[in-house]
Amino acid sequence: MAIDMMDRLKILAEGAKYDVSCASSGSFRRNRDGIGNAASCGICHSWTSDGRCVSLLKILMTNSCIYDCAYCINRRSNDVRRVMLTPAEVAELTIGFYRRNYIEGLFLSTGVVRSPDYTMELLIQAVRTLRQGYRFNGYIHLKLVPGADPLLVEEAGLLADRVSINLELPTREGLALLAPDKSRDAVVGPMRQVNKLIVINREERQVSRQVPRFAPAGQSTQMIVGATSETDRQIVTLSEELYRRFELKRVYYSAFIPVITDSRLPVRPASPLRREHRLYQADWLLRYYGFRAHELLDEESPNLDTELDPKTGWALRHREMFPVEINRADYEVLLRIPGIGVRSAKRIVRARRQGHLGIDDLAILGVVMKRARYFITARGRTAGASNLESSLLRSTLMGGKRKQADSQLELPLSRPQADNEIIDLVTGEL
Amino acid sequence: MGGHYRYDGSFAGLLTLLARLLPARILPDAISVDPPLQQSLFTVVTTVETDQLLVEQFWEKLSTHLAPTCLRIVRLAFLADHPGRELMICRYLLLAWEGKNIGNMLAHSDVAPLWKLSQQVGREAHRYLGFVRFQEVEGGFYYAGIAPDHRILPLIAPHFAARFRDQQWLIHDNRHGEGIIHDRNRREWLILPMNVHAEPQLTLAEERFQVLWRSYFTTLAIAERENLRLQQSKVPKKVRPWLVEFS
Repeated sequence: MAIDMMDRLKILAEGAKYDVSCASSGSFRRNRDGIGNAASCGICHSWTSDGRCVSLLKILMTNSCIYDCAYCINRRSNDVRRVMLTPAEVAELTIGFYRRNYIEGLFLSTGVVRSPDYTMELLIQAVRTLRQGYRFNGYIHLKLVPGADPLLVEEAGLLADRVSINLELPTREGLALLAPDKSRDAVVGPMRQVNKLIVINREERQVSRQVPRFAPAGQSTQMIVGATSETDRQIVTLSEELYRRFELKRVYYSAFIPVITDSRLPVRPASPLRREHRLYQADWLLRYYGFRAHELLDEESPNLDTELDPKTGWALRHREMFPVEINRADYEVLLRIPGIGVRSAKRIVRARRQGHLGIDDLAILGVVMKRARYFITARGRTAGASNLESSLLRSTLMGGKRKQADSQLELPLSRPQADNEIIDLVTGEL
Repeated sequence: MGGHYRYDGSFAGLLTLLARLLPARILPDAISVDPPLQQSLFTVVTTVETDQLLVEQFWEKLSTHLAPTCLRIVRLAFLADHPGRELMICRYLLLAWEGKNIGNMLAHSDVAPLWKLSQQVGREAHRYLGFVRFQEVEGGFYYAGIAPDHRILPLIAPHFAARFRDQQWLIHDNRHGEGIIHDRNRREWLILPMNVHAEPQLTLAEERFQVLWRSYFTTLAIAERENLRLQQSKVPKKVRPWLVEFS
């Protein structure tokens, strides 16, 4: 029994692990008499050997699927062992792990069995057992099945903290090519419905706090990057639209890793992790730094620079805005300086109320001087050669990485595929 | 000015001492915990007895003059396992006593070190919200051992008390020899000096869940992206003995 459970858990975790969402934040659920609560800031409980954070029990209900998506290990035509957990088993596992403080909650996804509605009902049953049977108030992220009945979507949102439906591929054409059984409309329909329900719920709760929360941690989505030929510009613009129109909390980008061969797929996409990393940086600039997609990418340069982060790239194209005097600049302007993040910008604003800041004070406040020095003045003094010519500055800012790439003793093949900062971003930290 | 002071090591004890020193604008040469390790020949040591009433008055005074974030910095820094923490707190509060708005003086030489120290403690406390692993022990309760750098138990206790209300549990800080006990019937938690001498007797269900968790955890990693250096910076070797998935 236990051995069988272990096999199934392995297979179903294997099937869900490429789903990148690991957030457990943004919700607030109080524990009255049962078990668990949802902390409004996320809590990571462990980190895997690829450096990704573990905060949720991330599993599929079943890896059986009626669809045949080219990139998916669980596609119908793939010859793998099909297993399933019952809703009761999912609930029992979640509680067992939660009681031991292994996890912050559950992320439940699934292959599609019989029909979207039937599958959605299975997921809901598991979550209802947790909420009502076990009186569980921890975080639950539930996948919506494309094409499921709107009533089921609504029920899911009332039980879960966050719901999401995967966009899968950035373009309609890509979707038609690689996931012929799914349509953009089957994805966007529920996304729009969820957004509407969230807005209505927000208004109703303004009137009465008794109204139960609907998806209090909002909705997110995920797309695979690099399996089809779209540009970064297409992707970042799409994300901007999703944030603007559907108020999504997060868009996740999953660099395509071939787990299955298919003639429609690229065999080995070029530096997928570096690209994913840059996309997350650009995404961050959209959500927290007040940048617009068209500022970061345009038709002449439709792809993000792999050598420089997008903010530094933007600053280099706009030398006329720099140097910025940090004792006077508005918060929004501080945010646009490479090396200054949301936290250090806030600290600068606070600290300078007490007196003018000098260059030496900035590092204490968390400013990354390595990058910022070329773009700022403090009390009128510069910290580096802020009049360097753009191309020279560019190579200076890339300096560290260049040296590494040119090193002689290391074969390119032996170089680790991921470096620190890459996965850091995947886990949602800056 | 100056002088060598001793207190009983409790937060109330330190506040008693500060309530005496600050109004007189005294910055001591040393503050240590009673009993002292060693006394040099010529220093006169003043020992201050904790005075609960004075502490309450003093704390109220601090609360009216200082922003909540400043009080939090003091509280967190006090829990740091750092020999100079009392003097740092003293310097910090003296600055406030002079009427400075210390809440915003993040780059000041008497503020920045204490702020950084409190951040370290706060960060460690946050990490331990995730790094505690309960084991179900025969007799119906859950036991967790940890060995944090700082004395974070008072910081994490409310979190676990709210989360595992219906559970009897105990978190034991092996490094500092204290632990939190949660009593689900009385809905209370208590921090006590604690030492464990025997291995806990695990239940059968516990062993099963540990096996399941280990196999789940190994499955999660994506081999193509292995990055052990990053993993180690997130889960340092020193915490691994206490984590089921690494043992």
